[in-house]
Amino acid sequence: MKKKHLFNAIMRITVINIALGLTLIGGALANNTNAQVLNRKITLNAKDKEISKVLATIEREANITFIYSPVLIQANNKVTVSFKNETLSNILSQLLTSQNIKYEVSGNAIVLNRIIHPTGKPNEVEANQNESRQAIGISGTVTDDADQPLAGVSVTLRGSTTAVSTDNNGNYKINVPDNSAVLVFRYVGFLTQEAAVNGRTVINVKLLVDSRSLNEVVVVGYGSQRKSTITGAISSLDAKTVNALPVTSLDQALQGRVAGLTVTNNGSPGTQPVVTIRGISSISFASDPLYVVDGFPTGNLASFDVKDVESVEVLKDASAAAIYGSRATNGVILITTKKGARNGKVQVNLDSYVGGQSPSKKLDLLNTNQYVQYATALDGAGNLPPRFSSANFNMPVYPGASQTYAQTNTDWQDAYFRNNALITANNLSLSGGNDVSRFYTSAGFFDQDGIAVGLSYKRYNYRINSDHKISKVFTFGENLYTASSLQHYDATLGQNRTFLTNVIRMPPYIPLHDPANPGGYQGPISSFDGSDPTNPVEGALIGSNTVNTLKIVGTAYLDVNFTSWLKFRSTVGIDYTNAFQNNYTPIFNDGGTSSASSAAIANDRLSTTVQLYTQQLNFDKTFGLHHVAATAVYEQQGGVFVNETSSGNQATNTVTSLNGASNVAANSTRETNMLQSYVARVNYEYAGKYLLSGSIRRDGSSIWAPGHKYTNFPAASIGWKIDQEDFLKNSKSISELKLRASYGITGIPISSLGNYPYLSPVQSNQTYYPFDNGSPGGGNGSFTNGLSNADLTWETTKQLNIGLDLGLFNNTVTLVSEFFRRQTDNLILRVPTPFSEGFQGAGTLENVASMRNTGAEIALGYHKRDGDFKWDVTGLLSVMSNKVLKLNTPTASIASNSDPDFGAGQPFTNTVAGQSVQYFYGWIAQGIIQTQAEAAASGQTGAAPGDIKFKDISGPNGKPDGVIDSYDKTNIGSFLPKFTYSLNYNATYKNFDLGIFFQGVHGNKILNAENIILQGMPRLFNASTAVLDAWTPSNTNTSIPRAIVGDPNGNGRLSTRWIEDGSYLRLKNLELGYSIPTAALKSFTGNAISRLKIYVSSQNLFTITKYTGFDPEVGNKNTGSGGTLTNGVDFGQYPAARVFLFGIQAGF
Amino acid sequence: MKNKKIYVSILTVGLIVASVYSCKKSLNTTDSNVIASSDYFKNSAQLLAGTNAIYSAWHGSNLVGREWFFLHDMRSDDVATGGSQLEVARFQLLSGPGDSDPGNPVMNAVYQSLYTVIHRANTVTDNAPNVTDNAALRDRLVGEAKFLRGWAYFDLVTFWGSVPMYTSTVKTADGAQPKASIAAIYAQITKDLQDAAAILPGKSGYPSTDIARATSAAANAMLGRVLMQNGDYAGAKAALLKIPTTGPDGYSLTARYLDNFEEETEFNSESIFEMVYSDKGDNNFNWGSGTGDGTSADQTTVRNQEYDPIGWRNLIPSNHVLNEFENVAAGTGTKNDPRYGYTVYQTGDTFDNGTATLVDADQNGNSSVVHGTTIKVGWRKFQLIYKEDRPTAAFHPGSNNQRILRYAEVLLNLAECENELGNPASAVTYLNQVRARPSVNMPLYPTAQYPTATKANITAAIIHEKTVEMADEEVRNVDILRWRAKGYFATEPISWYTPALQYLPIPTQETDNNPKL
Repeated sequence: MKKKHLFNAIMRITVINIALGLTLIGGALANNTNAQVLNRKITLNAKDKEISKVLATIEREANITFIYSPVLIQANNKVTVSFKNETLSNILSQLLTSQNIKYEVSGNAIVLNRIIHPTGKPNEVEANQNESRQAIGISGTVTDDADQPLAGVSVTLRGSTTAVSTDNNGNYKINVPDNSAVLVFRYVGFLTQEAAVNGRTVINVKLLVDSRSLNEVVVVGYGSQRKSTITGAISSLDAKTVNALPVTSLDQALQGRVAGLTVTNNGSPGTQPVVTIRGISSISFASDPLYVVDGFPTGNLASFDVKDVESVEVLKDASAAAIYGSRATNGVILITTKKGARNGKVQVNLDSYVGGQSPSKKLDLLNTNQYVQYATALDGAGNLPPRFSSANFNMPVYPGASQTYAQTNTDWQDAYFRNNALITANNLSLSGGNDVSRFYTSAGFFDQDGIAVGLSYKRYNYRINSDHKISKVFTFGENLYTASSLQHYDATLGQNRTFLTNVIRMPPYIPLHDPANPGGYQGPISSFDGSDPTNPVEGALIGSNTVNTLKIVGTAYLDVNFTSWLKFRSTVGIDYTNAFQNNYTPIFNDGGTSSASSAAIANDRLSTTVQLYTQQLNFDKTFGLHHVAATAVYEQQGGVFVNETSSGNQATNTVTSLNGASNVAANSTRETNMLQSYVARVNYEYAGKYLLSGSIRRDGSSIWAPGHKYTNFPAASIGWKIDQEDFLKNSKSISELKLRASYGITGIPISSLGNYPYLSPVQSNQTYYPFDNGSPGGGNGSFTNGLSNADLTWETTKQLNIGLDLGLFNNTVTLVSEFFRRQTDNLILRVPTPFSEGFQGAGTLENVASMRNTGAEIALGYHKRDGDFKWDVTGLLSVMSNKVLKLNTPTASIASNSDPDFGAGQPFTNTVAGQSVQYFYGWIAQGIIQTQAEAAASGQTGAAPGDIKFKDISGPNGKPDGVIDSYDKTNIGSFLPKFTYSLNYNATYKNFDLGIFFQGVHGNKILNAENIILQGMPRLFNASTAVLDAWTPSNTNTSIPRAIVGDPNGNGRLSTRWIEDGSYLRLKNLELGYSIPTAALKSFTGNAISRLKIYVSSQNLFTITKYTGFDPEVGNKNTGSGGTLTNGVDFGQYPAARVFLFGIQAGF
Repeated sequence: MKNKKIYVSILTVGLIVASVYSCKKSLNTTDSNVIASSDYFKNSAQLLAGTNAIYSAWHGSNLVGREWFFLHDMRSDDVATGGSQLEVARFQLLSGPGDSDPGNPVMNAVYQSLYTVIHRANTVTDNAPNVTDNAALRDRLVGEAKFLRGWAYFDLVTFWGSVPMYTSTVKTADGAQPKASIAAIYAQITKDLQDAAAILPGKSGYPSTDIARATSAAANAMLGRVLMQNGDYAGAKAALLKIPTTGPDGYSLTARYLDNFEEETEFNSESIFEMVYSDKGDNNFNWGSGTGDGTSADQTTVRNQEYDPIGWRNLIPSNHVLNEFENVAAGTGTKNDPRYGYTVYQTGDTFDNGTATLVDADQNGNSSVVHGTTIKVGWRKFQLIYKEDRPTAAFHPGSNNQRILRYAEVLLNLAECENELGNPASAVTYLNQVRARPSVNMPLYPTAQYPTATKANITAAIIHEKTVEMADEEVRNVDILRWRAKGYFATEPISWYTPALQYLPIPTQETDNNPKL
């Protein structure tokens, strides 16, 4: 058993692989060293069968692929053969030589050509001596999409038997009788193309990939499947699409690319966006999808280099996703990384861009004079803060300064935001291989500064993927990725007083700096200035808040190939992440609200080690018209999570570590979990028309109480390829028509529940009381804070999906439409306990709630594939509705996330049965009360002319009672869009290419909480210039209520005043590229560079929206697994940047 | 060859499967970072930790560290808004709309954490019977728990009236309780405090490291408050008289009135029960946990920042309270009550150990009107500017212990009991003890302004004396409830009061999620 047997372990073949393989056949033929494949032995019997069918049988038995032109080799000729355990070389010699066909091996493919009769002209073929009288000699080159030559393309003269094939360089020569002749170019996997001679003697042709190709394969869970036989809702993206945008993480690249997938920017560089597939599926937890990178299920894509991506598959419905069982409810995103080509060459690629990012919007804030004017209106002239006494206001801003406070006009937006912040990504990859081994390796460097001071993200990463055929039976492969990243993050993210909020609130008369202060900044003195914002630039820059992440993820697998139809794969993997967070604040004093008398150091290290073992058996066989594929998997995935924190203080700024610190406190925890799974799946296909698929996953998890560990997650789907029926098979217009339906049961990712969710343990020594007036040195108090629920178990979501795939005119027009309904009846809810139970309202996890998401998705495309000017346009549209069907009790409400700074501490959102999840919750504002009589009749305590009138909609008896109180709070809007859409246009003209990508959402509402800061006038802070238009007896025609201390009427309460239309349409990307012609490039660079594309692009160039805040793309304040019901509330989060960049893509 | 291939393949797969099977992990994991509830509170050390957690909840930011004093003050007539810095939700409690709003976050925070106190106390009383290693300690801890629970229910019943009552922890998801009657709640409080008074030692029974623990005197002082409020003046008197006035457990007035509000004189002879705060020198306050939780959490109270005359000045003394102090010029007394200057700072006063003088420009926000004069006045009680300079004091939360029960209140309450029980002479004697404090030294009752001829006269004197002696000590709103019910106010002291607003509404979170309501 020497390493002579070739063995194909490629479980994932894509068109690109094949195309790449084909383009490089020339090299393989030239040295002809790759003939081991011919030693394979098979048994073959055929009687009076077409050569094409015999070849198909050999393909299956020998696990190879034939590449040929059916016309050229006259594949319809019938033969009779009989071989028993004979080598392929013998079989092919006997079978083909008699038919005047020669064969050449390239990798795992065998290219067939007619034997050429020597004529002295090596590239000329005369298939038929009778045609020798033909007059005009035509020559040319046939290439593919990527301008790579195609060998073995059949070129025939229409209406005759004259045929030639292209040589290794894609060149052909053929004689035609006259100018009216038409050449037909045919090649397996490509669309047939015709070209009229029309006086030409050189006809170059570019063949386009046949998107109907049966060979197109998509990755599915635990394997791959021909796209044409997929019965679930799967969206596939290629490397080009995911690399179109300069983004930190892959999730961001998916925005607007997949119908039903929502990605919302949620912070500064390096911060993960909020990703949902088909809506919010959980009330108490995040709805993050499951990510599977090269078969390794993982929680997120932080640290991942987008350039390594070969393809991304988004599994949306139950039949596709249920193979991941308990983790599949939120959908599954499968990522496949690149592999080397088996062409015996090393391909070097450089992909690099650099650009600048800038904020795209600025708010109108008060200047110093306007601030004084506003403060006077709000506080009353007699009650102004001491700062405004002329002596204080005319003081120099610091001793020795030439400028007084009154003369100072700090633009805090300018001070905080940065223009032209750097973004650059660079990736250098090497790939290649031969029939034995292949590899892909890349090194990446990504660096992004924030558009605000103090924010950045930097990453270095390295990957190597390789596989090695040990023998015909065994193949070993591995994927290894390491990344090291450093993020300077916004420590106020998720808090109520973000830097952005303080940018708005800072009085304009305060200077940024005071050189005399330790730290060098100046801030307001809370009482003296009558205001307590903190200097946001100081906040961002005085200390340092970093997360240093080291990620190492690797898998190794061994394939055992019993026969061509039965394979076994054993995979082991490890995913290690070490995230080290460091927060440092030096000794400083801005003379105002912010100071620290000792330096504070806090470290938090979370190390996560996840181990994966997967044992997988695959069966794949065709019996006549029946095709059966089956998969059985045993998998276990276990994690160990170690968290260590330490903190302390230093009396000096010189030492920034805890060495010798005071007040040192430390803690560590260690948690583990384990998931064990049994998976089985069967796909059945009859005559390529009727598709049936069934799967079941049995998941057992350590996180549940004994007795509740295991649950089954079954799914089934059916498909009918109507285009394969006789009545459509030859249709000129309908090229693809498939109807499919699926139903299955899934669960939510357990990571969001923690590792011991059913337990409510003692909080042992977790609190402290200083009985002797001392400082804590560890806790001295223990308590319980919740109820254990041993009955807690998997929630199960039932999902129905009906889909229709339609292709018209050789798939020039494509349509994919989906309808889905998913419903969870035992949704895990953190049931709020009444305050009186003493758990501070903390919830108890119970399987009690019920929620339903219903929606539809459409993807419509037009693809113009021929001519110099090629373009394609794809539009996506998805609509969805959400309804909470049941909570723990009929009257239960989950009021969420109050904040005293935003609307007087009333909850922002509420969730009740019968409505959509987390609707905005508040009063309905009805304009300004103009008269004392109106105020008296308003039913609002504290109302006076100039206040907002709120609508009386209910009372204690369920009827309007003339009193405005909490009974009048209602649903005032939903963050859920009515629909989301995107439009993607790509065009190429000769060497130019253009990409335009629009993305939009429509019909959603945003709770512009930042507007409460800008216009709510709750306390004295800087504000929007809108407050200058506040109601006064002489300025009654306004929508801004009176300025009044303490807001007695609650004008700033959560109401429709703060609800805005969140619809937007954004030019997400605009890119123009130019590929330098290959010939010129090669001659200019002496063959050093084979491919060079340069491009310029802009992201977020413009946004059409009525939204008045910084950015209508509003994420979620709480990104953790805790409270999640703040989607669409704008707390002043980091806005999306406008980016201009320049990039190159080069191949060597 | 072919057979060999199959054998090798099968062998390999067999080995892989066997090795995987052998490393197959059990799904029965345990959390090795914590102790199951069922395995804890089994010995006196654990019960002690459980008891400490009750104190911790009481001193967190939802209660005595912050929201508790806000809620008490804003439902009294002791305070006014300092200006535009008072957060809206607080202003609305002060001005009325918040008092009918079941979503008011300040009110919600107090309600929520009072029940956390009760839950933690119930944890101790539930588990005590299983603790046998130190019966004496166990019994004392039960006494402390009952004192802290009784106090919590007293705040609940005076703020909210009828509320759900729990004397044992909730153990199942359907364990929520319905509202109990006000009478039943008072009965429970009385029993808790009587039990506590019987079990707990006097202050000399504790080592200095446990100086802040509840004593029998604390239980009796609280019991006196509670029984008075419930109309049982005889019972109240009996309880209050159990508080020793001599010996190692005895209490007496401090000569210096200010000793009750300054940091250096915590746990003085007058102090019966305090909430303890400690400071590590920075401006940090434990905003994160309403119940003060966290092993290294900051242990300061934010009162010094909120009310500080040169800090937030969120609440300032009401004109009512400022004008209540006897003043010669205003004709309200024959001597200016020195407690005015001990209670508030006004423009012209010195602070920072006498090194700085308060000017208008130090004081943000609203002015007050004292005897017809407009002047900026801020609270002095519990504030630290008596010893801190401007930059330090303005934002420093501080560690001045909050005195919850002090002997002066016992005397004033005894005066009220005696007056209600028909012993006017005795009542006047108690009042005069308070006035005779050396640093106060006010003319004894009767005075021209405050005669003591009738019960009503003495009632007026009691109301006056308690108003000025205990201004801003979080007793006024409870006193108002009691005195209002007896018709003692000629004019309603609370501007927004209507009978419907006597009690706060039960929070929405409770009504929505407690199916028993």
